[in-house]
Amino acid sequence: MKIPVTLKVNGETYELAIAPHRTLLDVLREEIQLTGTKKGCDVGDCGACTVLLDGKPVNSCLILAATVQNSEILTIEGLAKNGKLHPLQKAFLKDGAVQCGFCTPGVLMSLKALVDTNPSPTLDDVKTAMAGNLCRCTGYTKMFKAVETATRSL
Amino acid sequence: MRFELLQPRSLPEALEMKGKYGDKAKLLAGGTDLMVLMKERGLRTEVVLSLRGIRELDFIRSQDGRGVTLGALATHSAVARSSIIRKNFPDLVEACAQVSCIQIQNLGTVGGNLCNASPAADAAPPLLVLDAVLTLASTRGERRVPIHEFFLGPRQTVLMSDEILKEVFIPQTADRRGATYLKLGKRKAMEIAIIGIGVAIHLNGSDREITDCRIAMGSVAPTPVRARQGEEILRGQEVNDELIEETAVAAAEEARPISDVRGSREYRLDMIRVLCRRATRAALARARGNGVEG
Repeated sequence: MKIPVTLKVNGETYELAIAPHRTLLDVLREEIQLTGTKKGCDVGDCGACTVLLDGKPVNSCLILAATVQNSEILTIEGLAKNGKLHPLQKAFLKDGAVQCGFCTPGVLMSLKALVDTNPSPTLDDVKTAMAGNLCRCTGYTKMFKAVETATRSL
Repeated sequence: MRFELLQPRSLPEALEMKGKYGDKAKLLAGGTDLMVLMKERGLRTEVVLSLRGIRELDFIRSQDGRGVTLGALATHSAVARSSIIRKNFPDLVEACAQVSCIQIQNLGTVGGNLCNASPAADAAPPLLVLDAVLTLASTRGERRVPIHEFFLGPRQTVLMSDEILKEVFIPQTADRRGATYLKLGKRKAMEIAIIGIGVAIHLNGSDREITDCRIAMGSVAPTPVRARQGEEILRGQEVNDELIEETAVAAAEEARPISDVRGSREYRLDMIRVLCRRATRAALARARGNGVEG
């Protein structure tokens, strides 16, 4: 049985009818067609599905979509503003911090939450912020460098 | 994963629902355990009762010098960032900040961590050390249960089928207290503790005599447990290395660990000794360094 659910995603309001068991991740990808948020493990281990819920990074695979109707959700698609990439996105391109790219949206959302609250993070801060995002290309070093590049320009 | 989803807006409404559905309704707070159990372990339930919309349960409140109360929906990150908690209970901060990763800390609640009753629950050892008291509510009323009576076994607690954990009260501690929580894992994040140890030391004014010592251990028995014989060795004593070693040995003797994928029984027993020693020294240094800050 489907229930009516209203979600606020990247500043837009979506009126949906979905089954109560569906996760925020599946609703983002399959109902709203925002497929930038990736499904990796689907049980909260890999961080590929990271989105911001009221500014805080969370695993969207562990959230029932119907339970976050009063929250602001930000996905990777909402990171660029007026066609301009976020400084973190620019730095990722410049420093070659993207390999296969599957973990990248989740990583960027974790890092966005970090620099929003801590504009000059230490390497340890960055590592803590990214601890829940697995990169199986093991391309962490360039991501760390990119954060440095980005925070210099913030 | 098919179920009816109930989303009460107030605690009384939630209690009515839990009273009506009992064991048929699984409670959902942060979802970091329940969602994984349903997706990965095949847990089936007729009803999911989400507490997420109950604002009155999402708080961390100072009780005028008597202690601090955590609402059932206080997340690990809210607790780890709270200035009242940081000032008084550094061991609880360390435990909450070592739960998995930031994404999970932002969703998972301390209350849910306790109700899930994993022997490895990170929040449990510090709250055992702090003699926290849990308020369990139902339409029949409320009862207060000391945390050491709350856990019955792996994933088993004294919660009745119509009850919901409402809040966790942490009594105020003596001024000259130092405490820490140490977690042993193969990596720093995304880890279930091989063992976890919380130690608190209370000193008298001279810095020499230990007026109170409290030790709690996770992942060493079917439930998180206090190491009361170990505590007794240090209580009322002047500090010295031999006593700290004796305490660590006693704590290991009180543990009943199993061998599992994370570590063997023998390894855990060895590591309890090592971590108990380290945690006791760290707690002592904190107690000496500053009274309240820990």
